[in-house]
Amino acid sequence: MEIGPILRALSRNKLGVILISLQIAFTMTVMVNAVFIINERSKLMARPSGLDEPNTFYLSSTGFGDQFNSQVTERDDLELLRNTPGVIDATPTNAIPISGSGSSDGLRIENDPTLPATPAAVYFTDEHSVNTMNLTLIAGENFSASDMTYQSSNERRYYRKAIVTLALAEKLFPEEGLAAVGKSFYRDQAPVQIVGIVERLQAPWPNSFFVEQAMLVPLNFTDATSTYLIRTEPGQRDRLMVEIEETLAGNNPDRIIRGLKSLQETREESYRLDSSMATILLVVIVTLVFITSMGIVGLAVFGINRRRKQIGTRRALGATQLQILRYFMLENFFVSGVGVSIGAVLTIAFSIALSSLFEMPTMDWYYTPIGMLLLIAIGQIAVLGPSARAAQIQPAIATRSI
Amino acid sequence: MLEMKNVRKVFRTDMVETCALDEFSLTVDQGEFVTITGPSGCGKTTFLNIAGLLETHTSGQYLLDGVDVSQLRDYARAKLRNQKIGFIFQSFNLMPDLNLFDNIDVPLRYRGMKSAERKERVDKALDSVGLFARKKHVPAQLSGGQQQRVAIARALVGEPLFLLADEPTGNLDSNTAKGVMALLEEINDSGTTIIMVTHDQSLAEQSKRNIHILDGRISNNTEQTQQKAAAAA
Ligand SMILES: Nc1ncnc2c1ncn2[C@@H]1O[C@H](COP(=O)(O)OP(=O)(O)OP(=O)(O)O)[C@@H](O)[C@H]1O
Ligand SMILES: [Mg+2]
Repeated sequence: MEIGPILRALSRNKLGVILISLQIAFTMTVMVNAVFIINERSKLMARPSGLDEPNTFYLSSTGFGDQFNSQVTERDDLELLRNTPGVIDATPTNAIPISGSGSSDGLRIENDPTLPATPAAVYFTDEHSVNTMNLTLIAGENFSASDMTYQSSNERRYYRKAIVTLALAEKLFPEEGLAAVGKSFYRDQAPVQIVGIVERLQAPWPNSFFVEQAMLVPLNFTDATSTYLIRTEPGQRDRLMVEIEETLAGNNPDRIIRGLKSLQETREESYRLDSSMATILLVVIVTLVFITSMGIVGLAVFGINRRRKQIGTRRALGATQLQILRYFMLENFFVSGVGVSIGAVLTIAFSIALSSLFEMPTMDWYYTPIGMLLLIAIGQIAVLGPSARAAQIQPAIATRSI
Repeated sequence: MLEMKNVRKVFRTDMVETCALDEFSLTVDQGEFVTITGPSGCGKTTFLNIAGLLETHTSGQYLLDGVDVSQLRDYARAKLRNQKIGFIFQSFNLMPDLNLFDNIDVPLRYRGMKSAERKERVDKALDSVGLFARKKHVPAQLSGGQQQRVAIARALVGEPLFLLADEPTGNLDSNTAKGVMALLEEINDSGTTIIMVTHDQSLAEQSKRNIHILDGRISNNTEQTQQKAAAAA
């Protein structure tokens, strides 16, 4: 091995080493932090809403005119929907998970408005919601039809029962776990009993800090607009979306059907910013890595062309092709080593700055060493071609060229 | 020790075929000092490159130290160069980024020698060319004659079977050249075989044996008597 001479020769070309290693350091900093951000974003995007998303869609019915009776229409619609072949279940709701809009309430375990409240998303719905949303009831029981109350959305809301998510139950009653069933909390100074706990159901706001705290409430609004959430058998969704929209629009002249959308579309729209940010970051990473590899290749080719006679002389003095190849691989390894060492410091500093500026979680420790190894590997791959060509230089160069 | 029989070297490019060596037969024995002369383009460097395993010959037989090298692969040729041959070039061919010690160390590292032995040998070689005190200097800090001395030390440090020199004094003024020649003669006196290409007729006349090449063939192969050589000096 020629570690000593390579290092001493490099130390005579400090400027070139510094420039390329700074480029490597910069690439590593951006790459590692961007990968971390992408990973964090995709972790957020991968959280389940709790619903059977591929087989669920929704639409709204808005009535008009004096003749229109919202409660009757809704009852008829739901009966029709639930009896449509291919539909598993349907439920009225005021809000759609992941959609970005909905209602929330502040909950307290004691009837004292001065105490801090626990926020929770509220889905005003009926006893079919657990089945329609494909939720897993892990304690307590579902609502029954007799639990339902009806009122205008403009009145002061009044409900006595709720099915809460496990996350919400644990937030309200940290000690109790599933035993929170049967307990009551207060909202708007009125007691509400927890009748059931579901494993999970996300609030409508994906970026909310209380996204896992949600509850179902057996209350339905008598307003002119009703939204129905519909779950179908696998593979039936697209067909039923078309058919149901047509049927509902045709069977009642006093209303219009709007807002037909699948939950998958809703998810795509809500996370569009996140996914396009991930795409942009990915493009940035690929571009930077490409430019840096080109820089490494360029520097290697330049260095090799400049030293053709030196390489020929080394061959004349007895270097094997492998020894020439190894020389340039090692040279790149040391330059990359300087680069990733500076890069490690920059990466960590940058990630600390990011997490304190944007309230992001701090980067896991293993990102930096993996980034270092990756950039060294990229450098070695980049320099492999030029080094192999250097190894092909003929020893006769030593005597033939001046 | 070096035995060529009917060696032929043809360079093929897209358009032309150049026959650089033809029916070239030559034997060089242990301890000889052979000079090679001839007009430019006659094939001197080609001969040296083939003798030094820098280039392969097209046909004929070449025995190096009794071994037929015609069929050897690149790796084996590199190992033979490293162990049996020392090269001295017209333009010295030192590594500009390495100090003198590291320059002379290069062939020993390729041999995979242990660091302690390398150090001992390099120091001795530096000392033998009178440049021990400057071992931390880089070539650019040395005169041409000194650089060629370093190159000679590098060629000798591996204790090769023979030295091949292509116009070693071609880039030096006549006084410096004399010094380098004296050093080479000293090396030859202590037993190392030397084959040297030169344009300098007087140097050729001084040597024990002169080979004159014309158009890739040996035109004259003279064993000069010691007296004649001495008289010429
Ligand atoms: N790589 C090559 N490709 C084609 N022809 C070559 C090549 N190398 C040498 N030759 C030709 O071979 C012939 C011998 O060249 P060589 O270099 O051996 O001459 P030389 O005697 O060393 O000359 P000089 O005294 O000028 O150094 C020349 O005609 C030269 O042009
Ligand atoms: Mg020549």
